[in-house]
Parts: sequence; structure tokens; C-alpha cells
Amino acid sequence: MRSRGLGSFAVGAFISGAILWSLLTTEVELSRLLSAGPRIADFLGRMVPPDPTVMNEIMKGSAETLRIAILGSLGAIFFSVPLGMLASETMVSPALFRPVRTLLALIRAVPLILVAMLMVGAVGLGPLPGIIAVAIHATGMLAKFYAEAIDSVSRAPIAALESAGAGPLARLRHAIWPQMAPVIARDTIFRFELNLRESLILGIVGAGGIGFYIQTYVRSFQYDKAASVTLAVIAMVITIEAINVALRRRFA
Amino acid sequence: MNLAVQIDDLSYTHPGAELRALEHVSLTAAAGESIALLGPSGAGKTTLMTLLDGRLRGWRGRAYVLGAPLDPDHPPPRARRPDTGFVFQEFALVEPSSVLRNVLNGRLGRMSRFRAAFWTPAFRDFELARSALADCGIADLAARRVDSLSGGQRQRVAIARCLAQEPRLILADEPVSNLDPARATEILTLLTGAARARGATVIFSSHQPDLARRFADRIVGMRDGKIVFDVAVDDLSEAATAELYRETVIPPGSGLRAVS
Ligand SMILES: Nc1ncnc2c1ncn2[C@@H]1O[C@H](COP(=O)(O)OP(=O)(O)OP(=O)(O)O)[C@@H](O)[C@H]1O
Ligand SMILES: [Mg+2]
Repeated sequence: MRSRGLGSFAVGAFISGAILWSLLTTEVELSRLLSAGPRIADFLGRMVPPDPTVMNEIMKGSAETLRIAILGSLGAIFFSVPLGMLASETMVSPALFRPVRTLLALIRAVPLILVAMLMVGAVGLGPLPGIIAVAIHATGMLAKFYAEAIDSVSRAPIAALESAGAGPLARLRHAIWPQMAPVIARDTIFRFELNLRESLILGIVGAGGIGFYIQTYVRSFQYDKAASVTLAVIAMVITIEAINVALRRRFA
Repeated sequence: MNLAVQIDDLSYTHPGAELRALEHVSLTAAAGESIALLGPSGAGKTTLMTLLDGRLRGWRGRAYVLGAPLDPDHPPPRARRPDTGFVFQEFALVEPSSVLRNVLNGRLGRMSRFRAAFWTPAFRDFELARSALADCGIADLAARRVDSLSGGQRQRVAIARCLAQEPRLILADEPVSNLDPARATEILTLLTGAARARGATVIFSSHQPDLARRFADRIVGMRDGKIVFDVAVDDLSEAATAELYRETVIPPGSGLRAVS
């Protein structure tokens, strides 16, 4: 009990220290903080009414975001099938799956927006760096999911089909695939939804899609247009969520 | 005499295990016979049946199944595998697939490799699957997913898959271990009945001497990897069964203590 009391004291001291350090070293000027409220209100005021004339840009931007998500997801699936096998405990030796899993964890640790910035640096502006970034970033998660789907396949039915005289291809088709397919489908749809949602903002770093217009309009003080695009993004996120809920109900 | 199984001096140790799972086992089964394997947990019943199914490597001794020798180093040729049917202790069904598909899986060894891989069962495969389902009393469950079934229903699916395979030797590993007494009797009735109707030999393992007596022609008792008795049903004595299942006596000073 004693050591636990000490432990919570240490945690409390650490958290208080962190807060004090942030407050004292960020140079938050009290006057600016006090005037921030009205300023934000003023800023939001300039966003209404949203300018509906940007419908064209919204359509163009959303279509590009959708394409980035679709092609990026395809790329992620393409990388995740082999990497998922290499990260599987049941298919390869620990000497192989451990480093592959570490690699996937490292990929997952890098935020998408950062990968996108690097790719813009590497291949230039436009949807291409966005697609590559989504493919790389999503592989970190999807390959791990695929590895788990492979490892969750129960061996007994495979042995049973072997006993009945089924060849390797027939075992793959009738014992392994039926166990994996529902998991793979669910995880891939889940990751596609995340890809779509996350790639909405890729345009901010120049990696294509609807985010590009938000950045352009804010930079050029056209807040009413920025507002329309933001509303469109919110509407899209809600739509994706609704479709996902419907899909999950069907597959669950 | 026509022998379905003829094994002589079989010994086997599981990879990594210290004790032999089978020690100098010899046994014969006449075609059409029904044999019960009795014996406590770890006696080697599953090991013996798995070996007869051609799924163990590195054993020693001689084994003939349905007239052909088993090779200790290679699996049996594909053409011979469906002749031996196995009903697994834990069913070993493809859980997310339908009952009908699972039963059709029993036909995979009888189709060409192409048909088997690309899933084009012929009319005859469907017919055999349907009649196996009917024999097992689960025709109405054909479209259900296996993961929505009860233990007793799964056991019937596992048996139906085995029957659809048209085996001449049926190896059933504890086919009634997790069923209530009424269900257990039903399952063994249908298993031995279907085997008799098809002229197939049955070897089933069980922990229930009364059921073994009722459904087998011969009883083989196993313990610690050895056959301790091999008798016709009428010759099985109470004393022999009691001795088979007696508690392991732990020698004093072995460092282990019996749990009261
Ligand atoms: N895969 C394995 N690896 C190592 N040892 C094993 C393996 N399978 C079985 N054994 C050992 O072999 C011996 C015989 O086991 P087996 O499964 O054949 O017994 P059983 O008679 O079928 O028992 P039960 O009635 O519990 O099913 C046991 O000592 C067991 O621990
Ligand atoms: Mg067993």
C-alpha cells in the first residue's frame, strides 16, 4: 500500500509539473487570450453565410479525395497480402515475423499527414503523393490485421480435409479461405473508411483532394468559401460513418 | 479372412514428447467389424487412430489398412485417402461455412483436383451429401452455418461429412464424449447402423464401457500406449474395465503427491 501511495504521489507531481512547465514557457499573453474569444467569433462571423458558388470545386475535390482513398487502399491491400503473410506467427519463423511486425509498428507510428509531406517532397504536388502516402500508412495497420486473420484460422478443419483426400489448393479454398474471408472483408472495409476520412485533409500539405481548397481559401481570406468546403467535408464524414454502420450491420 | 486393419508391433513417440504414445501395439480388424477402443485419457487412442488415418510420420512397425501398407515416412496416395474416414474428437468443421458445404467437403478427395479446387461438385456429390444428411437426421439444417449449431448437431454434421466420403473404414474419435446419454445412444446407433448398411468397418474410441459394450463387436483396452486386453464383447469382465481405469499409483518418494 505504501509503495502505491508513493506511486500516485509521483504521478501527481509529474502531471502538475508538466502543466506548470507548459503554462510558464509558452508565453501565453493574458491580453491576447482574453481577446481571442471575440476574434474567433468575428472570424466565424465572416464564414457565414457560406458561399455556395464553390459547388464545382467541392465536387472536383471530393472526387479526387475518393480516388486517392480507393487507389491508396488498393495499394495498401497489394502490400498487405505479402507483408501480412510475413508477419504471421503460423506461416513464418519468429526470426522473420518479429522484424516484419516491428517494421509495421514503425509505419503505423508515423501520422499520415507526415508521410504525405515526405511524399510531396519526393514526387511533387498532386494526388500521386497522396495515394502513395495512404498506401504506405494504411499498410502498417492492414498487414497486421491480415496477419491476425491468418493466425486465427483453426488448423483442425485443414487436417480434416487432408484426411478426406483434399489437395493443397482445395484445402486453401474450402478450409482456410472460408475462415479468413469474413475477417479480411471486415478489416479491409474498416481501413478503407479510415483512408477516406484521413485523406480529406491531405490537400493541406499539397497531396491532392478536397483539403487543397480549404487551405487555398483560408490563405486568401475567402472564409465564406472555406466554410462551404468545411461543411462539405463534415457532410462527407457523416455519410461515410452512416454507410459504415449500415455495412457493419449487414456483415456482423 | 478379409482384414480391414492389420498392424503389428507399432511404436510411436510424438515429437518433443518424452514418453511413447504407442508401445508395441498389434491389432487386427475384420472387414465389417465394429471395434471400441477403451482407455483413460492419454492412453494413445487418438494417436493410434491418427496413425491409421495416415497422418503420423516416423513410427515404427508394420501397418496395413484396407489391404495396402502404410508408409511411416510419406502420407498415403491421394486416391486411397477417402477410403479411410475420420470423425474428429473436436469435430474439425469449417465453422463459418454451411452444413451442406461441410458435408460436401467430405467429397473433395473423390473429385478431380480441378473440381475440388474450383468447387464444382457433380450431381452425384450432392446426392451423396443429401443422403448422408438425411441418414444423420439433419436434412433440415443443410443451409445453417455450423457456428450456429449445438454440440450434438455438430457431431451429426461431422459424421455426415465422413459418410459422404464413402469410407470403407471409419475411425471415430470419441464421437459421443460431449453429449448427454440419450444423444450419445442416438449418435452411436446412427454411426454403427450407417457403417453396417455400407459394409464399412468402424473403430471408435470411448470412455463409456456400457456404450462400447452395446455398439461394438469387440473391445480393445488401451493404457499407457499399450493394448491391455482385446476381447469379444461378451468376454469383457467388470474387473478388466475397472483395472483399465484404475487411478495411477504414484510411487512413494517420487516427489509427487496425490491430490485428495
Ligand atoms: N501433439 C502431441 N505432442 C506431444 N505429445 C502428444 C501429442 N498428442 C498426444 N500426445 C501425448 O501422447 C499420449 C497419448 O495421447 P492421445 O491423445 O493419443 O490419448 P487419448 O487416449 O486419445 O486420450 P483422450 O482420451 O484424452 O483423448 C499422451 O501422453 C499425450 O500427452
Ligand atoms: Mg483422444
